[in-house]
Amino acid sequence: MTDTPTAGRPTVNTVLGPVPADDLGVVAVHEALLSVLPGAQYAPDISMDRAEIYEALEAKVIAFRQAGGRTIVDSTGMFHGRDLTLYEALSRATGVHIVATTGMGPEEKLGGYFLTPQTNPPTPWPAEKFADLFAREVTEGMVVPRIERRAAAGMVTTVADRAGMTPTEESLFRGSARAAAQTGVAVSIRYGADALAELDVVLDERLRPDRVLVGDLDRTDAAGDPGQVAAAVAAKGAFVGIDHVGLNEDPGYLTDAQRAALVLDLVAAGHADKIILSGNAIGVAKGLDAYDLPYEHVLATFIPFLQGEGLSDEDARRILVDNPARLLAVR
Amino acid sequence: MTKVNTVLGPVPVAELGIVAIHEHIGYGMPGSELDTQWWKTPEQAYEETVPKLRKFHEYGGRTFVDVTGICNGRDPNYYQALSAKTGVNIVACTGFVGGDTALAHFARASVDYLAQVFIHEITVGIGNTGAKAGVIKVGVSRGGKMTELDQRIYRAAARAAVVTGVPILTHLAIDPKPAVAIFHEEGLDLDRVLFGHADDGLNAPITPHDYIYDQGGRIGFDTFGYDLELPDPPFWGRKRAERMAHFKALLDKGYLDKLMVGVDANCSPLGWPGVKGHTVNYLFEDMIPDMKAIGIDDDTIHHLLVDSPAEFLGMKN
Repeated sequence: MTDTPTAGRPTVNTVLGPVPADDLGVVAVHEALLSVLPGAQYAPDISMDRAEIYEALEAKVIAFRQAGGRTIVDSTGMFHGRDLTLYEALSRATGVHIVATTGMGPEEKLGGYFLTPQTNPPTPWPAEKFADLFAREVTEGMVVPRIERRAAAGMVTTVADRAGMTPTEESLFRGSARAAAQTGVAVSIRYGADALAELDVVLDERLRPDRVLVGDLDRTDAAGDPGQVAAAVAAKGAFVGIDHVGLNEDPGYLTDAQRAALVLDLVAAGHADKIILSGNAIGVAKGLDAYDLPYEHVLATFIPFLQGEGLSDEDARRILVDNPARLLAVR
Repeated sequence: MTKVNTVLGPVPVAELGIVAIHEHIGYGMPGSELDTQWWKTPEQAYEETVPKLRKFHEYGGRTFVDVTGICNGRDPNYYQALSAKTGVNIVACTGFVGGDTALAHFARASVDYLAQVFIHEITVGIGNTGAKAGVIKVGVSRGGKMTELDQRIYRAAARAAVVTGVPILTHLAIDPKPAVAIFHEEGLDLDRVLFGHADDGLNAPITPHDYIYDQGGRIGFDTFGYDLELPDPPFWGRKRAERMAHFKALLDKGYLDKLMVGVDANCSPLGWPGVKGHTVNYLFEDMIPDMKAIGIDDDTIHHLLVDSPAEFLGMKN
């Protein structure tokens, strides 16, 4: 077993097994493949036709590949439509690496099992139970509910309520951080009301900051000037997720012109190695609004625009290839 | 002819026979499917389930009403196979055990949308299974008071019950005033509502049985067998004799026409350990003998297990 291609090289957990981190190529880090609002799969007015879902995803993933993309991270976690057997087939057919994630959030999207368990009183799950649930998805494999475990999860992802982190979401954040620390995968947090304070919650679990991706940093409600918050996140050593590239008509988010300025400011401040760009595109949406941004939008449109604004080729490669590889490599 | 939707199609009420009115093939809280500690192989699930249903049939049981809500592991394809192979009619439900078991898609929904979901499952079918729901399940969330979401679900259920003629079964009969108000506002006869778990150890002391009766509601003594005498009773358990004495007291008051009985057992629980030793057959093995021992006669028992359920389950339009 000494001559396996991955021996000695850091690897990334994909749905088809570990892949050397330096083979990932251009990565779309914060995206959704099939995204299902919990419960929508049971709704009589929503079709869950697998062939139709696959066909739509395949067309989008092939377009991404044709534009030069090689890896897509489905960052929706374990309870938002994740369909491992479909993603395995999709990855095999398209040649694009697919990284699936564990984790859950915000609280509003959790099942009652975690919030009002059959005990008296119905105490919500504490951090250590979430940590165990998520860590097992890395060490033993991600679940196909009630059937089997498949490949290891590639990242833990969690989300807090925009109105402010709830106590159960603090448990989710702490549990996610512990699972990441135990298993070596990274954790992605999408903050609720205060990016820096919520980053501190996961760092309080003694997780190294370079194992954390703080997403949503192109929102305009980051409890501070978005540029300053992003710089502060980078200064703490975490990855800065500017991950709604392509979204220009939503007052809750920066525009692409503002995102470009933010990226260039971060690069100028020496944080090029902390920047993660992504689009939060949704391949197929069920029970939520479609968001048909191409997965290749960052790579094919936004990066060339940034280069026109002065981003060096080296930094472009750093952002598209090297940073995601360092984030996703199991350490 | 009055009929009832079972998972294998409509049957005449005349054929329902002895009914277990508030049961579960398997129940789990939403999300429990993610936790491997509860997983069972299909072999194990069938092994735990089929002998219980066969025994139920041997005892004379003919109809099993499964009140496992939409997000709780309800599995109509499985129920269809079980029913076809055991000869037991299985009635599936639409609705939710309580607001706290409705996932985000439904928790965010309007009364109109929820009513459409329930009506669809009763008149068209559940998913692509072809199985139509025969009853609607609603309930009170943990915490003892009806939440706003619970009330939205009750109102949608009332509308669906008025349109389709199927009855409503509730999880818990505590805090019934908002429920009664909603049913009145929606024009649903309270006789079409079985207020369940009026007998459990935790909730019986805070359940206003007389109020429910006075309003015309039906009262479910449907957790028979969750006895504190069990080796490892659940927190809602109750002393066996105390439950029966309570039941007898209501019979003696003349409540027979509004009472129904069940045991709320899981054949093979999905997201919790279940309660060892408690099965649907408690009905025949313990409850009926206990009733006879305190002088409840055969006609009364027949009324409780056959006539009342038939009248209740029969679709009114």
